[in-house]
Amino acid sequence: MAPPAQSQRSPSPSQPSGKGEVSDLKMQLRQLAGSRAPGTDDSKRDLFKKVISYMTIGIDVSSVFSEMVMCSATSDIVLKKMCYLYVGNYAKYNPDLALLTINFLQRDCKDEDPMIRGLALRSLGSLRVPNLVEYLVGPLGAGLKDANSYVRMVAAVGVLKLYHISASTCLDADFPALLKHLMLNDPDAQVVANCLSALQEIWGVEASSSEEAAMEREALISKPIIYYLLNRIKEFSEWAQCTVLELVSKYAPPDSNEIFDIMNLLEDRLQHANGAVVLATIKLFLQLTLSMTDVHQQVYERIKAPLLTLVSSGSPEQSYAVLSHLHLLVMRAPMLFASDYKHLYCQYNEPFYVKKLKLEMLTAVANESNTYEIVTELCEYAANVDIPIARESIRAVGKIALEQYDVNAIVDRLLQFLEMEKDYVTAETLVLVKDLLRKYPQWSHDCIAVIGNISSNNVQEPKAKAALIWMLGEYAQDMQDAPYALEGLIDDWEDETSPEVRLHLLTAVMKCFFRRPPETQKALGSALAAGLSDMHQDVHDRALFYYRLLQHSVSVANSVVNPTKQAVSVFADTQSSEIKDRIFDEFNSLSVLYQKPCYMFTDKEHQGPFAFSEELGNLSIGVDDQRVEANDEDLLLSTTGKEESLSQQTQGALLVSLDQTEPAAAHAQQTNLVIDDIFGLGLSSPSPSPSPSPSPLLKLNAKAVLDPTSFQQKWRQLPVSTSQEGLISPQGVAAMTSAQTLVRHMQGHHIHCIASGGQAPNFKLFFFAQKAEEPSNFLVECVINLSTAKAQIKIKVEDENASQAFSNLFQSALSEFGMV
Amino acid sequence: MLQCIFLLSDSGEVMLEKQLTGHRVDRSICAWFWDQSLSQPHSFKVLPVIASPTHYLFQIVREGITFLACTQVEMPPLMGIEFLCRVADVLSDYLGGLNEDVIKDNFVIVYELLDEMIDNGFPLTTEPNILRDMIAPPNIVSKMLSVVTGNTSNVSDTLPGATSSCVPWRTTQLKHANNDVYVNLVEEMDTIINSDGVLVKCEIFGVVEVNSHLSGIPDLTLSFANPSILNDVQFHPCVRFRPWESEKLLSFVPPDGLFKLMSYRVKKLRNTPIYVKPQMSSESGTCRLSVMVGIRNDPGKVVDSVSVQFQLPHCVSSANLTANHGTVNILSDKTCSWSIGRIPKDKAPQMSGTLVLEEGVEELHVKPTFQVGFKIMGAALSGLKINKLDLKNLPTPAHKGFRAQTEAGHYEVRS
Repeated sequence: MAPPAQSQRSPSPSQPSGKGEVSDLKMQLRQLAGSRAPGTDDSKRDLFKKVISYMTIGIDVSSVFSEMVMCSATSDIVLKKMCYLYVGNYAKYNPDLALLTINFLQRDCKDEDPMIRGLALRSLGSLRVPNLVEYLVGPLGAGLKDANSYVRMVAAVGVLKLYHISASTCLDADFPALLKHLMLNDPDAQVVANCLSALQEIWGVEASSSEEAAMEREALISKPIIYYLLNRIKEFSEWAQCTVLELVSKYAPPDSNEIFDIMNLLEDRLQHANGAVVLATIKLFLQLTLSMTDVHQQVYERIKAPLLTLVSSGSPEQSYAVLSHLHLLVMRAPMLFASDYKHLYCQYNEPFYVKKLKLEMLTAVANESNTYEIVTELCEYAANVDIPIARESIRAVGKIALEQYDVNAIVDRLLQFLEMEKDYVTAETLVLVKDLLRKYPQWSHDCIAVIGNISSNNVQEPKAKAALIWMLGEYAQDMQDAPYALEGLIDDWEDETSPEVRLHLLTAVMKCFFRRPPETQKALGSALAAGLSDMHQDVHDRALFYYRLLQHSVSVANSVVNPTKQAVSVFADTQSSEIKDRIFDEFNSLSVLYQKPCYMFTDKEHQGPFAFSEELGNLSIGVDDQRVEANDEDLLLSTTGKEESLSQQTQGALLVSLDQTEPAAAHAQQTNLVIDDIFGLGLSSPSPSPSPSPSPLLKLNAKAVLDPTSFQQKWRQLPVSTSQEGLISPQGVAAMTSAQTLVRHMQGHHIHCIASGGQAPNFKLFFFAQKAEEPSNFLVECVINLSTAKAQIKIKVEDENASQAFSNLFQSALSEFGMV
Repeated sequence: MLQCIFLLSDSGEVMLEKQLTGHRVDRSICAWFWDQSLSQPHSFKVLPVIASPTHYLFQIVREGITFLACTQVEMPPLMGIEFLCRVADVLSDYLGGLNEDVIKDNFVIVYELLDEMIDNGFPLTTEPNILRDMIAPPNIVSKMLSVVTGNTSNVSDTLPGATSSCVPWRTTQLKHANNDVYVNLVEEMDTIINSDGVLVKCEIFGVVEVNSHLSGIPDLTLSFANPSILNDVQFHPCVRFRPWESEKLLSFVPPDGLFKLMSYRVKKLRNTPIYVKPQMSSESGTCRLSVMVGIRNDPGKVVDSVSVQFQLPHCVSSANLTANHGTVNILSDKTCSWSIGRIPKDKAPQMSGTLVLEEGVEELHVKPTFQVGFKIMGAALSGLKINKLDLKNLPTPAHKGFRAQTEAGHYEVRS
């Protein structure tokens, strides 16, 4: 997976291979370095351009570093810029040579032109060479006090750069305090904004190790600062406005008057030309009014128009990002968007991903009043040139039908699809008709008349074929030639590649047999024979099962295969409402675009460096009961190590498991982070409860040992075997005063804690256990959020067979803790 | 915050790389991305936001050039996309269009621009007027100047005054010999007409463009005769909110040059200026097609650049189409385009002919969608009317001008 490293990249034939040209350049630069003749700047400029263009193509031109630095003594600003760019690119890998540049950069920092001062300061910060930080402190300090706002603005970001190179130098120079002062007093809004983003990042990281920084971070979302920023909001650039709005969304106003004040102040931001500002404002409004149901609804009404305008105004890429957010809102409150369905109609030349989102929304907003028009529109897409969209729209029609609006008309439409005689249309429609019949058996009469005319030869897709076969079996008594159609299919048994279809065929022929025995007997015989010699295990087993069943008793077989069925009332939804809620909490983030909460798609590789470090502070590692404070520095080192190389696999796996709180942790409110669970079966858990079948008794080793390194290794290697979620009972919440209480309790059940972390209300614990007889390990990650009374458990096992048994054991241990 | 920006050519070559933070992003990410986009049947189908094994990628494509940004931390997605769009706009504005050559020729300018637009991953200034003050565009005038004066720097010597002024979109000391300001209503009509000929959706997305060349710090007020027809509006940051809220007046201090003052949407229009009537009938392997075009509601101005375009269904093996007015072209990708130009007064343009279907296909079940283009100068079809434009705080009287035009946006007729 790892792409080739940069150095291995072979330049394309048209590009110079580099070596000869680079040494040429070196010579020429050397000649120019000392020259003071007029016109030198022009020739320098040409050479510099060449160097930069080689650099851009990907040729290594670091060998001319010293010549470039020698040539940098110039008053020409373009030359300077090119030189800064070059130096910034190579200094990190040539720290010794970088020292050469310090001199001229420091001199430029004192230039009389503020633009040069700013550029030099920016480049100085971009060198990122740890042993040169001492040279950075002076110019930064001066830059923060510079009379020109451009320089101050650069300096504020420079402080952040310094912090990432050497946090201690930055803190020792007391830069954060300076930044705070600037943030609160600077007349230039961009300086304020840069100070704010720098401080957010610095204090965000420091908060974990220093109480003072944690307080400062809290202070950023205190009323005076929030109000100070809000009052200046119009001075900020559009991007800075996004930063401020994001910060404000973390602020919880104490009363509703304040909420209304903030919303009044920001209402015009909804009309900003920049979509990012509009979306940040919308997020803020939604967050502010979460607890005020009626106002929340008004907010929906208010944000509808700006969102729809954004969708139609921007490029397809912007439209997509906005539509994803609109999608989320529509799914939360479809009825509020019911009158706007026309905006969701697909345009012919929109990309597939946009159309797909629109189709899903159209499906969601359908209600009694607009179903007819929406279905009419969807039917137009079914005849569309674009086949994937045609399929999606047929599915959408089916979904609307299942919502039981105007089923009558829709069934007619679906049946019309079948008459179109396009294979993909027929295939999609068959699947839908099957689902419809399962929910509305009363329509069987109309459907069967049409289905009966479909020749199974025209249906190739396994899902559609299976659907057709199911209907043939289920409605054998109403379809004249069902036994013969099935017989034809059984004759082609050998050519049927999909096991799903063969399974359905077996069942269908059984059903048919009990309804029309004389006509089906022969077909059943050959089907069972074919099934028994089938290579596919499931098909073979089912054939054998039916065969024995028939041998045992025909009437029992009949009641097994043809029981009286209840119409399906609701088909299972793919996403739980909790997950949807969680995505909503992460509004205006990537989660919305992926339609998953962040913990589901971020893994170690994607973990942001800042969230990473923040996470570490809350964690302590304990081996058995000996709790050892994690060495922050070590962990930080491994973090930076990860960013250096693409092969971060060597990384501490313990960190991996921290992903749950992931990058968004930086902004998403901690309280809502954890939802999932497993605590006990009594929970209102939407996940399938473990099978009631008694599992073999599992004995755990009371003195199991596992060192943290191998735990990390195993955790990384093993797949998640069980993952469950649920609610914690009030007693459980009360008992959970600290992570230790649970750790001690679990030890009583021979489940040992290897690491735990967090403070109320958020805890994260890692457990392990071993089988008594053999060294087979069970690993558990357990995330508890007391404020939402939710918990989430992930179990990984080495022996998959014991997975269920262990899962049950773990749950019962937890329920004894008083959590159920 | 973004960590790196790449510009890729239409063959996937990295034309430019701008590292923004200390966490260097390796170029190999571009190779990964390019493999991804090649593995998709149509390159435009790649999602604007995707996750690679190491980074989240934002991408937009403009004129064949891919703007790719990488990040490892969660951030508002629209911020990434919106920023890339601005970068593309600014570059296209500076370089007079976007293509591989122009970027390779001017990569120093591109670096300079990116340097001012984003620092350490946080977007700073994307306002073209301010950037223009900091970095001179490589236009002919500045080239001429440099030849004449011998001064080859394309960077202004001073910092733009606006960076410290309270109207950040405007430089403080502007002087024009001729003071003039033009207001232009540019509207796009998005329409869907379904297969029964029913007008399903018809709305206008419009922009008020202002081209201002005024000295000093002028204060402008623009009013509409019928602001109530506007469904939703978006403003340039220079527009003051309160006058709009209370009296529907656009009060603003304009940036210099061309800018979008406001964009708006007008829903539920009842009429389209032209009609397009496709008719199809299939019979034993061939399909007769005829399309008629004509004026439905005369907008009072000339309807120009009328065109009809559609995709021939896959099952069509050949097509023979002729028109009594304009030219019909069938491209290799089975796109058929009929350019009509101006609709003549005496006859209704018609295109007709037969489509021969592939063997075994009796009837045409897949119906093409006809995309219609037109342009009307001098009329805003939404009906929006400018009442007047007041100029205040001007040293000398200025010339004012107003224009309007409407084009077809997504205007489609289904058959």
